[in-house]
Amino acid sequence: MGEFSVMRKTASFGCLIAGLVLMIWGLAMAIGKTGNTLRGGALVVGAVLFFAGLYLFPTFKHHRTIVNIIFLFPLLFAFAVTVIIPLVLGIGYSFTDWNGIKMKGFVGMANYTRMFKQPGFIWSILITFLFVVFNIILVNLVAFLLALLCTSKIKGLGFFRAAYFLPNLIGGIVLGYIWQFIFSNVITKFTTALFDARYSMLSETKTAFIGIVIVYIWQYAGYIMLIYITGLNTIPGDVLEASSIDGANATQTLFNIKIPMIAPTITICTFLTLTSAFKQFDVNLALTNGTGSVADFMGNYLTNGTEMLALNIYSTAVINNEYAFGEAKAVLFFIILAVVSIVQVRISNKREVEL
Amino acid sequence: MKSRFLSVLLAGAMAVSLSACGAAPAAPAAGTGSETTEATDEGASEEASEEASEEASDSSAPAAGGAGEVRLLNGKPEIDQQLQDLAKLYNEETGNTLIVETIGGDTNASDELKKMYQADNMPDIFVIEANQADTWDGMLADLAGEAWTDKTGFELINASMGTIGFPYTVEATALGYNADVLKAAGVDPASLTSPSAYADAFKTLDEKKGELGITAVLGWCAEPANLGWSSGTHVFAQYLDAGLKADDTTYIDLLNDGGKVDEKRMKDFAEFIGMMNQYSDPELLVDGTYDQQVAGFKDGKYAFITQGNWCVTSPDDVSFECGFAPYAFEDGIDTIIAGPPSYWVAYSEGNVDGAKEFFNWCSGDSAQNILVNQAGLVSPFDDCKYEAVNPFYKSMKSYIDAGKYSGWHTMLKKDGLQNVTCQVFADYAQGKLDADGFASTMAQVIQSYYAN
Repeated sequence: MGEFSVMRKTASFGCLIAGLVLMIWGLAMAIGKTGNTLRGGALVVGAVLFFAGLYLFPTFKHHRTIVNIIFLFPLLFAFAVTVIIPLVLGIGYSFTDWNGIKMKGFVGMANYTRMFKQPGFIWSILITFLFVVFNIILVNLVAFLLALLCTSKIKGLGFFRAAYFLPNLIGGIVLGYIWQFIFSNVITKFTTALFDARYSMLSETKTAFIGIVIVYIWQYAGYIMLIYITGLNTIPGDVLEASSIDGANATQTLFNIKIPMIAPTITICTFLTLTSAFKQFDVNLALTNGTGSVADFMGNYLTNGTEMLALNIYSTAVINNEYAFGEAKAVLFFIILAVVSIVQVRISNKREVEL
Repeated sequence: MKSRFLSVLLAGAMAVSLSACGAAPAAPAAGTGSETTEATDEGASEEASEEASEEASDSSAPAAGGAGEVRLLNGKPEIDQQLQDLAKLYNEETGNTLIVETIGGDTNASDELKKMYQADNMPDIFVIEANQADTWDGMLADLAGEAWTDKTGFELINASMGTIGFPYTVEATALGYNADVLKAAGVDPASLTSPSAYADAFKTLDEKKGELGITAVLGWCAEPANLGWSSGTHVFAQYLDAGLKADDTTYIDLLNDGGKVDEKRMKDFAEFIGMMNQYSDPELLVDGTYDQQVAGFKDGKYAFITQGNWCVTSPDDVSFECGFAPYAFEDGIDTIIAGPPSYWVAYSEGNVDGAKEFFNWCSGDSAQNILVNQAGLVSPFDDCKYEAVNPFYKSMKSYIDAGKYSGWHTMLKKDGLQNVTCQVFADYAQGKLDADGFASTMAQVIQSYYAN
């Protein structure tokens, strides 16, 4: 348009070119492993110059877009480095025989077909789904009841809220070890006295599974409760007042007013419990480490009775030293989680409209 | 004007944050330590490294810090302090610098090493177990011909890479016993070389429990979640090696050939484990912990313990004499498992000369003094004049001197197998399986683990 001074144009293009050159130089030194001292500086100065050039770029039409991009860049860069690039690399690794150190070659779909021939892995998928179903129902139920309790007019409300929420502040690993002690040293004292059952519930697959569910509810219900409390507090007082004037009793108020009014909260909470239960790892690791036997599953004696998907992926990669195979399992895990979440959100959204 | 000032401020902040991001990748190349560095005296070691690099500036320097600077990744957190002392002494005696980094607790060294490798931040010396050699194929230096190799028979030799592993300690595992209790009960540990001898001994001890003041004959724990390494690797090792010569690889070869198991031997092993289950402390057997097991033995509550010499390291821990008896699940088995469970290796792209120099020094008198007398390790070197303080040492040495020791071939099994087999031990201990069930289930799970 000719409205920009030569100075501005020179500054812009000069900065852009100098910035690019510096960045490429810095990267080349990093890749070629030469010039240890300068490469970081070159890269940073190059990047700053490049953005300065971009900012000064002689255009009116796109100036705002450029500024937007510059401001978004740090976030997008961090997102790419921590999420997008690892995701792409991970999918790439799943087609190789990478062991964490060396990669001998591509194996195509071999890792993907192999995982379905592993009875232990299929068992892990099954119990993960079972765990998710148990947890969505139980965590939400318990949390909702606690929320009702904590929005009623009992004394010491603050104490109860804090007490229910507190387990959520303890890390899963610590919690796992605490409960392991409770299950194997405290509860066994009672079971030995009452039923002559000396061994802890963690030593039997079925009861160990129940143990994990209990610990998980104990940990997570307090957190979900907080969200339900917020939801219940947003119900307008006049609606409740009107219902009570119309003679609705407590049950009617609960089912016909409160629950429909907090439908969006229920969506959020089921979504949260669903994804977090799927990704269950730390309590599983600390409490049972996946142990437990299954006498006959697909003709095999399984030894990973309580090993859920995330833990299975971890032990495949880290303990069994098969990183690529673990990656393949993780990709499948990602797909399952994405599909389930999308379906669940769709269904919940539809229902919200109907209610 | 105000908005312009603000935008300049924001742009400045962004530039600073960018440079902060950009500077980070350069740091590992310039600095020497990672997060895990636990150098006790950082100032001193930095000065020392400068001195060392000045002194050695004429020789070729592959590592960043200088010819004499060597980084060692240690996998035993319990001897970290002693290794720091070792580093200090190494510096005093030779002027070279040793930087000790310790990995431990729940992070294992091999996992951390992978991260270090990806970050191009490899230590010059690191710890591996025998079966991890293949993972590092082609990346470990051949140490053949070094002076220390003449003084020990415990070095790690790999088919493709040569002599790669420096043994820094010898550990033994078998049935550890409380000699005082056995003596009081009239059981001669030297006679324990057949299943029937054990059956008699266990029975006698069990009958005299009250008189001897023990709660159970054995402190054997088959809890799989936290103690799976004990049953799945160490007790399972007895099936692989008990009674065999140190270089005999019959059963490990069979195992690594697609997970094959010798039926007869496994059956005998199962019967013996069954006997152990029967006489172990029921409080400990299924739900116990390592701490409970070891504390029980130290307090004299058990006559036997299914651990190795690492469970009692100091003579102050026990008020009785300790010894090892073989897992004689077949007649005539009279060996314990002894050898280095892990080795120090030199990374071939690191400071190999520095590592070799350190290894030679480390096999010498002053270094062995620290490793044996302070760290409580058992020296693998023939010319070491220090008697280990470990209460099991006398018994260990008598077996090694008599040539009655088997190898740690259990470390060569497929990665992660212990997590499968430990569950079978646990089921057997709980009574879900009988001896035949144990043997057949063991064979089946091993075979399917190797197949998948």
